[in-house]
Amino acid sequence: MPGRLLTRRTTLGTALAAPLVLGACDIDPPARDDASASPTPPPPEDSELVARVVAELVRARSVVDAATSSVPELAGRLAPVASAHAEHLELLVGAVPDAEPPTSPPPTLAPQILRALGAVRRSEARLLREVRTACVGAASGDLARVLAGVAASTAQHAAALDAEVTA
Amino acid sequence: MSDLDALQATLTDEHAAVYTYGVLGARTSQSATPVLYDALVAGYRRHRARRDQLRVLVGDAGGDPVVAAPAYEVDGRALRSSDVQAAALAIEVASVEVMLALVARSTGSVREWAVTEAVWSAAWQLELGGTAQTWPGAPELG
Repeated sequence: MPGRLLTRRTTLGTALAAPLVLGACDIDPPARDDASASPTPPPPEDSELVARVVAELVRARSVVDAATSSVPELAGRLAPVASAHAEHLELLVGAVPDAEPPTSPPPTLAPQILRALGAVRRSEARLLREVRTACVGAASGDLARVLAGVAASTAQHAAALDAEVTA
Repeated sequence: MSDLDALQATLTDEHAAVYTYGVLGARTSQSATPVLYDALVAGYRRHRARRDQLRVLVGDAGGDPVVAAPAYEVDGRALRSSDVQAAALAIEVASVEVMLALVARSTGSVREWAVTEAVWSAAWQLELGGTAQTWPGAPELG
């Protein structure tokens, strides 16, 4: 299989170094062996794109938190979704260590299982749309691959929630 | 690897996926295991359409689409329905990885198509007994 075995550091370092260096952020830039080489033109739009995806992940996380607060027995079912959000956020936010992670006020959800699950399903569907859009628009191919991975994971968790609701 | 090479590599994998789905379908009883049979038929049709689209994309990129091999190796021991399902799941796990690689090498409408197919293969894994992952197709990111 033509998989590209990149570590999380090299992947996002390569994908985001240029735009974030442009933004004066401290991010794992790739080693520059040839100091005389002309820099690759940076794709500055990618740093805004990552910020939008991070904000969307934070929003989706707040919906999961609200669901588990309203219906504590959902905590186990939603734990894999929360875990995926946390890891996706860690990778994307970790690429911008000096950035202030955004916050999102948790919505108020009725303490009913099906309503809470429905809210999470709609939230995950919105997250999937936003991440897909960002993936297609990314200037960096490596960043696009990371975002496609986030989209694929989100689709899996959404499908698992669908199975929970229809079971 | 050029964009055309990436498309050709993806097409090569799709030839194998279509063949393998066909073999797995032939080993599955529609009457005894209708759910699995339907899942295999849906997977076969999706990958056949994906293969056909890749042929078009390779042609659009100025290449001659790589042809399928006469046959591909399929685990001969995969005769029980659980083994058949596991083999189909393996196809989709690998397909996400392949499509993510194409995402990285493409732009515009080709990338949009590739991420759509990656998402489909990821979600379809749950129909084949798989579970949701944090980094499907890119486990090294975890």
